[in-house]
Amino acid sequence: MSVSKKIVLVGHYGVGKSSLIRRFVQNIFSDSYQVTIGVHILKKTVPYKGEDITLVLWDIEGKENINQSRTSYLLGTSGFVFVIDPTRDTTYQNLKEELIFLEKNYPKVPVIKLVNKSDLINIEEFQKVLAIQNLEIDFFSSAKTGENVENVFMQLVSKMLGT
Amino acid sequence: MNDSEKLLHLKRLILNEDWNAAQRIFKRLDELDKELPGKMDTIVTKRLDKYTSEIPEKLGPVITQALSEEIKNSQDRVVDALFPIIGKMIKKYIQKEIAILQENINKQLRNTFSIFSFRSKSKKGTPKTIELIKSEIEQVFVIEKGSGLIIGSYTKHATVDEDMISGMLTAIKSFVEDAFQGGQQSLELIQYELYKIHIQNFSSYYIAVVISGPADDSFRSKLEDKLFDFSEQYMKGEVDKLMIANKLANFFAS
Repeated sequence: MSVSKKIVLVGHYGVGKSSLIRRFVQNIFSDSYQVTIGVHILKKTVPYKGEDITLVLWDIEGKENINQSRTSYLLGTSGFVFVIDPTRDTTYQNLKEELIFLEKNYPKVPVIKLVNKSDLINIEEFQKVLAIQNLEIDFFSSAKTGENVENVFMQLVSKMLGT
Repeated sequence: MNDSEKLLHLKRLILNEDWNAAQRIFKRLDELDKELPGKMDTIVTKRLDKYTSEIPEKLGPVITQALSEEIKNSQDRVVDALFPIIGKMIKKYIQKEIAILQENINKQLRNTFSIFSFRSKSKKGTPKTIELIKSEIEQVFVIEKGSGLIIGSYTKHATVDEDMISGMLTAIKSFVEDAFQGGQQSLELIQYELYKIHIQNFSSYYIAVVISGPADDSFRSKLEDKLFDFSEQYMKGEVDKLMIANKLANFFAS
């Protein structure tokens, strides 16, 4: 029997949360931006160590601060993906505080920190920006090219299952 | 032999018996020192077990007495604490009973004064109630609160993915409960044309039942009782998704 896990993608509006989920679940990408109102839920079953893991992915509307997100959408989450947009510094300038908020309110829930839209930047240059601000990131990915998208979720599965 | 050696010799001769007695006492003390913790532990554990088993009998009346005195002395505080909960429960119960009563009166009036009943009366003398559309349970979902993950489900016909349904239902429910700021109130019914989704809330999960047909208040009241029975019988302790699905099928298929 498959194990089910709830994953919530968080981050500011327009960072590409919906695009990442669409790329991961349906393997499609669209350049047209459609704002998410409320929440959109998709699911994907992935094989992991001989077992089927059902990922129920909650794509919630973007907020300028995580503490503005609807608490009931975040409850019962097994893993978070925090998405930032490297082309807009407002999406990561409070990253530390927002991660502290998650750690405080959802202790022991793993968080993957992700820079999306990596196709639009020079990764090495952006790493320097992150280093100056003392920010640590887990993945650089692009919903547009599909780079690292699968790896992000598989890494989260591994963290959620504690292996 | 000098004086001090003589004195020692004399001491041994005179005090030999006392010396041996003292040695025996020291030896016994050492033995007791080793034995005592083990023996004491057993005694203390036994006493503790006895004390624990006697708590309800010995302390029960004292605690009850103390509690009743405390409640008596601070009635206002107790009423303040319980009023919102009990008041809400009573209000809800009365509203529900009135709705059922009103529904029965309306049904009775419809039956008495409808053309059909007049025809029926003229033929046989007494009015007859005919149920044209029957309420039926189409799907049942047991869903974890918070995560919205499905715990178990029963469905008559193949449907959209149950994980998606449970997730979206939870999201809608959370949104409604948050958005309208009704305090600790919960969403209990979703209605769309020919279907109703009855939502029964429990502490860590909720049960959503999709009903086709009119599903009036008396039907929902009976359904509520059935859901409480189900919860009491099968939702205790560790629950298994497959087991819950089977139980739901047995419970609601008939």
